[in-house]
Amino acid sequence: MSKNRVSRRQFLSYTLTGVGGFMAAGMLMPMVRFAVDPVLQAKAGGNYIPTPQKVADITEVPTRVDFTFEQQDAWYNSEETGTAWVYKDDKGEIVALSPVCKHLGCVVNWEGDKSNPDHFYCPCHGGLYTKDGTNVPGTPPIAPLDVYPYIEKDGYLHLGKAEPKKGA
Amino acid sequence: MKWISQDIDMYLKSKEYVDTAVLPLFPVSLRDDIKQTAAMSEFISLLSIQLERQFRGRLVMFPGYSYLKSFPEDKLISDIKLWEKELTEKGFKHVLYLTSDSSWKALESQFDGGLIWLPSLPLEHMDEQYKNTILDDQVKQLLQLFLQKWQSGE
Repeated sequence: MSKNRVSRRQFLSYTLTGVGGFMAAGMLMPMVRFAVDPVLQAKAGGNYIPTPQKVADITEVPTRVDFTFEQQDAWYNSEETGTAWVYKDDKGEIVALSPVCKHLGCVVNWEGDKSNPDHFYCPCHGGLYTKDGTNVPGTPPIAPLDVYPYIEKDGYLHLGKAEPKKGA
Repeated sequence: MKWISQDIDMYLKSKEYVDTAVLPLFPVSLRDDIKQTAAMSEFISLLSIQLERQFRGRLVMFPGYSYLKSFPEDKLISDIKLWEKELTEKGFKHVLYLTSDSSWKALESQFDGGLIWLPSLPLEHMDEQYKNTILDDQVKQLLQLFLQKWQSGE
């Protein structure tokens, strides 16, 4: 028998503290996790879709970039393709425009009409957009082309979900 | 626009912009050429999806007309003529048929709508990526054809 043997009272209080601590942690952790969740959210890379376009290869001329992603409709996964017109503007910043015409949803082409160089052209009803995606007044579209948010990851361009152009 | 209620709502709202009807023609056979007819139908239905995506604002992609390869020619012609009559009466200026079945080539002169005949490609052995590129190229070629059609009609 050693001198510092644990008394029954001590043993019980240690055990209760230990078990109580686990239980308190078990209840508090999810609450804390819940409260600080916005901070832990991944800012980038969450819903960005990789494209085969290398950032270094982007020029000032809009190029068509096709990418595929999995779309989940309830339990059904299907492979969808998306397209973007990508170029660098005067300041050297990357611009990724959605090719969907804001009129009735056809696909616009860069310089698709010979009489309108330096414009995006919609073959359906002759809609025109300037290089930055602004609609040309007098043609059917009523809003500028949507813009994709983008990030650069491992040298490749990743695109988010297209949103209406800001300040329009 | 596809033949779905959401797109048809859009069609009803902007009828004046939609003047083209596209009707894919799907051959069906259960005889020796069962595989070919299936491949043709597969190719045309995939192509029609891409084509609709490119031109959705100006055309309505109708659900295909399926027919048995054993149908007599006069039945095919009279059926197509019925489609044509209904579509032109309801305001479609351009009616186009999309098919891989070369037997339509011989009948083309007997109806007014334009026939777009494309040889079917062996898609079964291609991976998804390659398939999409091939179909995209085909749609790009059709782009010119559609533009010419629309310009000549205006």
